[in-house]
Amino acid sequence: MSGSKRTDYRSVAMPRALWYHLYPGMWEVFFRSLGLSVVVSAKTDRATVERAALISEPEHCLPLKLHDAHLHGVVGAADVVFIPRVLSTLTEHIACPKLGSLPDCAVAQFGDETPILTIDIDENKRSVHRSMLELGSELGFRRNATRAAAAAALSAMKTERNGLKTCIDREDDYFLILAHPYILHDAYVSAPVFGKLDAMNVKWLFPDYGCESIESGPIKWDACGIMHDALLRLDAGRCVGVIHLSAFNCGCDSIVMEVFRGLLWEKNIPYMTLVIDEHEGRAGLDTRLEAFVDSIGWRNTLDNAV
Amino acid sequence: MKKKLKRLAFEPWGNYAIALAASVQCLNVEPWTRTATTPEVLELGVAASPDSACLSFKACTGHFLEAAREGVEYGVMVNSVGTCRLRYYRMLQQQLLEERGFKLFIFGLGYDGIKPPLIRHFDPRPGPFLKCCVRARAKVLAVDAIEKYAWHTRARELHRGDTTRVLNECLGDLERADSLLDIRRVKESIPVRFKKIAVKKDAIPLKIGLLGEATVLRNRFLNHNIEEILGGLGAEVFNFFLLGEEMKNIFGIGMWGRHSRWTLKRLAAPYLKSLVGGHALDSVANAIRCARGGYDGVVHVCPTGCMPEISVRPILRKISTDMDLPVLECSFDEHTSHLGVITRLEAFVDILNARRTRGNQTWKNRVISV
Ligand code: SF4
Repeated sequence: MSGSKRTDYRSVAMPRALWYHLYPGMWEVFFRSLGLSVVVSAKTDRATVERAALISEPEHCLPLKLHDAHLHGVVGAADVVFIPRVLSTLTEHIACPKLGSLPDCAVAQFGDETPILTIDIDENKRSVHRSMLELGSELGFRRNATRAAAAAALSAMKTERNGLKTCIDREDDYFLILAHPYILHDAYVSAPVFGKLDAMNVKWLFPDYGCESIESGPIKWDACGIMHDALLRLDAGRCVGVIHLSAFNCGCDSIVMEVFRGLLWEKNIPYMTLVIDEHEGRAGLDTRLEAFVDSIGWRNTLDNAV
Repeated sequence: MKKKLKRLAFEPWGNYAIALAASVQCLNVEPWTRTATTPEVLELGVAASPDSACLSFKACTGHFLEAAREGVEYGVMVNSVGTCRLRYYRMLQQQLLEERGFKLFIFGLGYDGIKPPLIRHFDPRPGPFLKCCVRARAKVLAVDAIEKYAWHTRARELHRGDTTRVLNECLGDLERADSLLDIRRVKESIPVRFKKIAVKKDAIPLKIGLLGEATVLRNRFLNHNIEEILGGLGAEVFNFFLLGEEMKNIFGIGMWGRHSRWTLKRLAAPYLKSLVGGHALDSVANAIRCARGGYDGVVHVCPTGCMPEISVRPILRKISTDMDLPVLECSFDEHTSHLGVITRLEAFVDILNARRTRGNQTWKNRVISV
């Protein structure tokens, strides 16, 4: 992708967006263990969102727009910018097609200013561990060094994931939150929702996106498949409602939301979708969440009365 | 008394509907389709579909809803194994139909196992079935041939509307053609008929490539009749979605053809190194082809929010600057205004004409003849 020899890279930059959240904490540790210095763009804030509106394709989904803005922020901050081509993060499933062209788009947009480093992530062909090994050898590192770095990266990711709030006291009534990992983990996008839920004293958890495999179902997109799997196994006695946080213009969600709606209707679990876009309209969000949670409270009281 | 045939609805896919209708005859069903969506059908689809679904989905859903209302028993929908939303259309449409109490059953066409479920269900005898397939293929190729002549002639015609009239006549004859021999006769008559149209002899019209998503490229209603508008403005178009070529890709034959996956991949490689899904790779490859082939410009056509196509737009923009190829991005949804489309296309054609007068010479080394 660039003229210079790859082993010359001393630092690597990456956008804190999209694929970065699919493997939380992993890439940083991997590169750092290889002795490269790592620059990650700052967390999403208002300025990021504003930049996204300026430079990104208007018809992109919100995460992709944010990715463009984050990417713009790190171009030139290091010798090379890393953007993997995520084709699948789960065996027998595929990633959203938009992720497949990311490195090429990055080259098209910023290729004149920085070299782009990429590697295919396709769990159907090889594990992400093997992908890291290949990346290491492509960069010219010794096998042993790469191995150690990959192992450290994987365990760092595990710790990071365990720290997430995927499990709470299972006895409680809880809400299941469905959202793509890059929505969950981007505090700017999701914090208002979680803040509101916590303020209402509502317990919530989300599906385990770190799972190794799931039973093959009708939905073949990886994250959406995991959500669907979680819904199938949902216990109507304990889960009182499902809240789906979707990004504006998300193509995958536009399809699976309908499927989930049908499924949950059969299970008799209330389902709400919240579409998050780049405009600040948090008041509406609060009201809708309140109304949803209240209505469920009412439902339970009525049920108990009968 | 003759038993009333059951009916089978399929997606309105431009003039190819004629050919597809021919292919289901052997299944002993009556085809139910149109060559373009109507406003009423689209309205039905929009009302039933999720808000953020793409235009192709809405149009197609509306089509099945209308079919179900008229009591059609079966439908058929491609069952892609790709990465884009198309893969789930059938499942979702079936769900939407059932929720509304309709009985229409939609078969998935293709790729699970050797026999598609549709064939398994109707179980035609192999002899007639093969014959039907051959006939359908001949018709697809004939449609492609007719359209190519139309694109060529429309930009040069002296009297507005001549080409469209001849085009419709040819298509009508093709629809009625039952045997291979008849189809061949129609096909042979095509050049003769188009040559009769009075044209400006030595005009060198603008040449514009149409790239993008297959359904919208081919459904006149969804793309606001872009071919005719451009033709009327004196531009010769080339629509890069050709089912005749696509069929070869589907069946994995013809590795060396101009439109084979392999060729496209090689062509697009400097800019795009993955398939992405849908026809995104085709769009990138064909844009490069247009730039090299001396096209004056291209229009990138897709439904608003189309996952694969939108995701390669930054790449198309890069090709546009690198190779000096004007690209007009046209996304369509149910709110797209017809006048707006016309205005944009007119402006685009004006720009392309101005480029020529300003001394742009690319059109002179136009080599492509696909
Ligand atoms: S899954 Fe949805 S939100 Fe994620 S990249 Fe694809 S379209 Fe965007």
